Amino acid sequence: MSATRRRLLGLAGAAAALPAASALGWPGGAAAQAGRSDVELLESLLAHEQRLAAAYEAALRRDAIEPRLGDTLLSHEREHLRGVEQALAGAGRRAPRAGVPSPGLGAALGARGAFARFALDLESSAVAAYLEALPRLRNAGLRRPLGSIMVCAGTHQVALRESIGEPPLPGRS
Amino acid sequence: MSAPLTRRSALGAAATLTLASCGGDDPPPGRAGPGSGAGLLASLLAFERAVVAAYDACFELLRGEALRHAREIQLHERDHARVLEDLIRGLGGTPPRGRRPQDYARQFPKLGSSEDALRFAQDLEERQIRGYLEGLTDLPDPELRSGVAALAADEGVHLATVHLLRGQAAAQDPFVTGAL
Repeated sequence: MSATRRRLLGLAGAAAALPAASALGWPGGAAAQAGRSDVELLESLLAHEQRLAAAYEAALRRDAIEPRLGDTLLSHEREHLRGVEQALAGAGRRAPRAGVPSPGLGAALGARGAFARFALDLESSAVAAYLEALPRLRNAGLRRPLGSIMVCAGTHQVALRESIGEPPLPGRS
Repeated sequence: MSAPLTRRSALGAAATLTLASCGGDDPPPGRAGPGSGAGLLASLLAFERAVVAAYDACFELLRGEALRHAREIQLHERDHARVLEDLIRGLGGTPPRGRRPQDYARQFPKLGSSEDALRFAQDLEERQIRGYLEGLTDLPDPELRSGVAALAADEGVHLATVHLLRGQAAAQDPFVTGAL
């Protein structure tokens, strides 16, 4: 593993999010992403945003998240959904709004701490998906607006860690 | 007591720091070819180094938890600089040499309080996000774009942390572009 890859793995926001086969030229990673169209990449991002929105909606209904925090994060996810759907429409594909509950959501709704950790995992998975997809989007004009969604997900991670009394910055590897 | 740092003066300082970091007196990044992205990476590197120096200035005014988290962020920024250096070397280039701390310090605004320091830090983090998202758009190679995308994600975590230190909500906007 190159020194650059080791350093990137140790970063704060991305540390928990870089997938095993990342877009860093690791065996299988770049090859797996190289052939995907912009539509396919956007659809994968949409699925992540749908799961996040559904999770925050459920958490608010079940009081598994502090209401003001839940409202903020849900409102952001709805904006993200609109953004990705718009990008998909621009790429020529209409995105159906499908319910895609995440496995494990039900169990996570029993307590605020459990939900916060569950949501943290979802946000980290979303960041990982954006890190895979964004560099490979052929439409360069999409990378900044979708990148701004990815950066927002990092702020969500901090908000969720704060809600359970954890430090805002995760430890470095 | 000096007047509190206004947002206008903090933004002005961040912009001045950006321009100074990307100035023409910086040596070009070695033998990386034109259009390789080495020039853009070198600009991002110069700004990262300036941000590391800026945090040193902020430390003088911070205490307790704010100081601890600011020190941690600075460590991350040093890591970012090393990543950018690696990316430039990967293109066959030579990372430009950094400046002396006092050269950066000349560009900083006058910080009179912990709130001034945190506001300055927030503006710098936003500026970095903007720079990395621009890199994500403009760099010619997907692997280089991967590198700066990861750095942008990290800066989002830093920005949210500074929000908290300022007594604000960590997550404020659905689209964090770093626009000032």
